[in-house]
Amino acid sequence: MNTLTEETREQLSRIGTAQLVLGIPTFNNRETVGRIAEASLTALGNHVSSRSAVIVNADGASKDGTPELLRERIGEKAPLIQIRYPMYPVRRLSAPLAGVPGRQEAAVAIFQLAKQLGAGACAVLDAEVESVTEDWVDRLVSPVLDDGVDLVVPRYRRHKFDGMINSGIVSPFLRALYGKRLRQPMGADLSFSARLMDFYLGQDNANGDAPSLVDPWDTVPPIVNGFRVAQSFLGPRAVHPHEVSPELSETLRQVLTNVFESMGRTASFWQKVRGSENVPWFGPPPETDAGHADLNVKRMIDSFRQGCQDLTGIWNLVLPPATLLDLRRMLRLSDTAFCFQDAVWARTIYDFALGYHTRAIGRDHLLPAMTPLYWGWVASFVKELEDADAGEVEERLERLAGQFEVQKRYFISRWRWPDRFSP
Amino acid sequence: MSSQANGVLQQMAARITKSVADFVPGLLAFVVVLALAVLIAAITRSLLRRFLRRIDFDKRVERWGFSELAEWSPANSPVRLMVSLAYWVIILVGILVGLSALDAAVTSVLVLRLLNYVPNVFAAILIVTVGFFLARFFARSVLISAVNMQVQSARLLSLGVKWLVMLLSGAMALQHLGIGGDLVQLSFAILFGGVVLALALAVGLGSKDMVSRSLERQAGKSAEEEEIAGRLRHL
Repeated sequence: MNTLTEETREQLSRIGTAQLVLGIPTFNNRETVGRIAEASLTALGNHVSSRSAVIVNADGASKDGTPELLRERIGEKAPLIQIRYPMYPVRRLSAPLAGVPGRQEAAVAIFQLAKQLGAGACAVLDAEVESVTEDWVDRLVSPVLDDGVDLVVPRYRRHKFDGMINSGIVSPFLRALYGKRLRQPMGADLSFSARLMDFYLGQDNANGDAPSLVDPWDTVPPIVNGFRVAQSFLGPRAVHPHEVSPELSETLRQVLTNVFESMGRTASFWQKVRGSENVPWFGPPPETDAGHADLNVKRMIDSFRQGCQDLTGIWNLVLPPATLLDLRRMLRLSDTAFCFQDAVWARTIYDFALGYHTRAIGRDHLLPAMTPLYWGWVASFVKELEDADAGEVEERLERLAGQFEVQKRYFISRWRWPDRFSP
Repeated sequence: MSSQANGVLQQMAARITKSVADFVPGLLAFVVVLALAVLIAAITRSLLRRFLRRIDFDKRVERWGFSELAEWSPANSPVRLMVSLAYWVIILVGILVGLSALDAAVTSVLVLRLLNYVPNVFAAILIVTVGFFLARFFARSVLISAVNMQVQSARLLSLGVKWLVMLLSGAMALQHLGIGGDLVQLSFAILFGGVVLALALAVGLGSKDMVSRSLERQAGKSAEEEEIAGRLRHL
């Protein structure tokens, strides 16, 4: 366990217990932490005023005065405990796509304090979000405190063509494997029950001298271990822009590494899952922004075509002949007729998942090599739904997810007999 | 006089007989050692062939990316290549051991020089093998990155990187083997320097407009690109 300072111990003994902990991991978030502080105070004052709550700020040694600013904004208006979480060099070098570097250690530190306070729920907010409102806290914690949910995953209001990695890969893939219809399984603002926090604390390193193995932002362990999962609509999510945004291939690599690692660890679970079930919704009905987007579809299709021409040698090592044939057929289609069929897309994702598992080629090469295929699918999706409304988009994604479930049998066969079953 | 001639002839005969008598045991030992080496080589070949077939060595080699090795192998089978290699190495070692049994000073010196050279051969093989792996790794990395950046000459770049690394490792291996001496180093330096100079001239003179446009884009993205990039958030 992280060592607590004398000041923190005094604060804990002064506060005693709390029903709810509001966790804010920070690392150089001076530009946005003020907004989080205001939203938190309003939330504690209005929406969750009937519950005793403590704000816990876990900071990774910010150099821009983030903890000081947060303390100044919160002042005496709400109980605030500020702790330092260990920032290992490996975390600093590989920052996550959402949240702060070392967010796992930050979450563990927050959970430890929440346990000491006897909290029944802990909401963790992403300090980089600029669009957080006071409703978020209530929508995240109420299902945990009132309805016995263990993990609440957010759903944000996004444009229909935003989050394509989630819509086109992660959501349908996890739905098919684990049987839970989570619309946006990769949320950065979550809430946890005491039971789930205990589970994560039990999984953490005993001596705290090494980076934490748990990732509370991974929805797979709670599903696999029988915890109750729910979704809650929060609203638009606007993140403070980074100076250097990661490239698409690097984003794909990071996201799919996490997804495929979870897949590999839980193979005995998902092979037994058949079909999928709805995950309960809380909060207002979800919304999608279906406005027009001026996207360069031709460029995406060209990227796909170039991948087909130049990366076939690498794709040969992962994709079976039938899928390669389908891709060659798509290569001959004109820009107007271009279409990436759901079945082919689902099989492609499954083939890459298998390639990752069997290490058909180096993983650092395998996942970036998927980028042209992803562009091809996005181009097809954007072409088809350019003028669609939110309802049509959701129906379309539902059909895609259904195809992932249908093709799961294909995936299981290839998983069990990778050499013998290669259509 | 005839008795003198007889005496000389007898001495000569005795010397020849003695030389032959000294040589024959060594020769017999050489033949025995060689026969033993052939027997061991045959047994090793049989066992190695069975083992490599059991672990599906041909398919593994292809999966590891050594498909060129299959093409160079007899009957396109790396198993046969490995087995033949093992067989002839054992025969060679047997010949060397047999030669030393002949107890000739010249053969001992030859054996010593050969044995001193063997580590250089192993080092050269190691350098070429590592070079091959690195060439393939870098070539793939360049290819994937270039395709993802929509660079049209991605394959050419990848091939260039691969051959550069292979040439470098080949030059290092030849240097280790002591073949070519300074000529290999000089040739490589001239080739490498020439390639770099040609690229610099091509970029500097031939595509300066493109480079300056590209640099402008990097420094401050054009409004159009930023708009498109800003509108599509993948996560």
